[in-house]
Amino acid sequence: MNGQPLISLDQAPPVGVPLRFFITAPLFALAAALLLLWKGAGLFHSRWDPAMLGITHLLTLGFMGLIMLGAILQMLPVVAGAPMRRPERVAAFIHILASAGVILLCGGLIFTVPLALKIALPTLGTALLLFAALVVVTLRRALPQNMTARAMRLAALMFAATVLLGLTLLSNHAFGWWLRARETLADLHLTWGLLGWVGLLIAGVAYQIVPMFQLTPAYPARLARWLAPVLFILLLALAPARHSPALWSVLKILLAAGFAVFALTTLWLQTKRRRKLPDVLMNFWRGSMMSLLAAIALWLAAQLVPAIGDMRGYGMLLGVLMIVGFAMSIINGMLYKIVPFLVWFHLQSRRGANGPTVPNVREIMPESRTRWQMWLHFTALAVLLAAIVFPAAFVYPAALLFGASNLWLWLNIVAASRTYSRVNALLGKATASAG
Amino acid sequence: MKERIVDARWLEPPEPMELTLAALNILEPGERLRLLIHRMPHMLFPLLKDWGYDHTTHAGDDGTYEILIWYKEQVIPIGGPESS
Repeated sequence: MNGQPLISLDQAPPVGVPLRFFITAPLFALAAALLLLWKGAGLFHSRWDPAMLGITHLLTLGFMGLIMLGAILQMLPVVAGAPMRRPERVAAFIHILASAGVILLCGGLIFTVPLALKIALPTLGTALLLFAALVVVTLRRALPQNMTARAMRLAALMFAATVLLGLTLLSNHAFGWWLRARETLADLHLTWGLLGWVGLLIAGVAYQIVPMFQLTPAYPARLARWLAPVLFILLLALAPARHSPALWSVLKILLAAGFAVFALTTLWLQTKRRRKLPDVLMNFWRGSMMSLLAAIALWLAAQLVPAIGDMRGYGMLLGVLMIVGFAMSIINGMLYKIVPFLVWFHLQSRRGANGPTVPNVREIMPESRTRWQMWLHFTALAVLLAAIVFPAAFVYPAALLFGASNLWLWLNIVAASRTYSRVNALLGKATASAG
Repeated sequence: MKERIVDARWLEPPEPMELTLAALNILEPGERLRLLIHRMPHMLFPLLKDWGYDHTTHAGDDGTYEILIWYKEQVIPIGGPESS
């Protein structure tokens, strides 16, 4: 946070609070890869196919959603300046409810089980709306000049709107009632979800993370101040503009331009970084921004040449670029900073001034492991895109590579978490023998 | 008073904090630590307090922060940077 620590000893919840979300999330992406392996090329017939919707939500809610929940629950008490009451219980409640909701929703969609969808409705609804309310209320206490907190609040509002639309669509799937505006609502749901929730959240986080970890100059102050609110208003305006095709197109072009400015600014800042050493996090961000630009270019091409938009797989190419390319790349990279840092910080604060030394962040998450997993992730992304265009040839390699990448990510997080448990036990023994 | 210097300018987090804590570990009695860093190390301060260290901060014109750290039981430095 601008002028504010991201974590402090007094307010940070126990390390288990975020870690339980981070350890569960890659398993949902792994499940998506296994389903792709099982269902094969047939999945790519339509993005509205319930099985495809299930797989999409394994990634957006299971992977992206859970990691966001964990990361924000970790950060909220620090931003609010007050420790959360019973953090482990709150985290366990939201974690179990959200995970169960994702399993019910995706299982219900993939295996066509209306009962699972009916149970998913209150389960997911409670977990996600409770969380969104927690974020919006807590961030009101953040300083007004804190641009990251401001963008995060707007992202949380978009998240709540996306969830409400999602719950409406889910109730339609579960109970089969007649919903005339289903397609319009679904379109708004995915636009608000991917551009509003994910896009604004990433922009907000970028203002802080890119200069801090990649040692770049700060984002231009005007951009940091205005981009998120302007994008938010444009996104909101999409709902009433639905009936005016001309206004709808103008709004979407402005949105595309806004996100392109963000991506290009980030890539430009990265060229100005102080230390030109290769860095896994920077490459994840770079790949993510290039995916965002590719998605924008593809969308723009489809506006200019309607035949491109009518191409089979156009929507799915956009989806993979935005979900796997833009969002998952950054999240994957961020986990490699957040997890070792939290492990190190909690061990460091436990050891006290004169305790035994604790492993540093590079020992907790060695770059040799993260670098190769990163290349596997980007290879999986490229082969996934190829699989949409040539399903028969690429669907199985794509599923295997995507599965392997997420399995590796999971193993890396588990290894860091085991390091915490091992060293924490040693510290406990050292304290006991000193006492 | 003897002084050790940690130059953590333009190092990626949490390297400045790792170097500072490592330097504090080998700080001899009577010594103090001068940390040079490109941004205010907010996260370091609660840990220093917890571990019994005191500090002063000074923001230089070139954007560098100088943090002077010493063990609390020692005498507060005279002529050090202005207090935070």
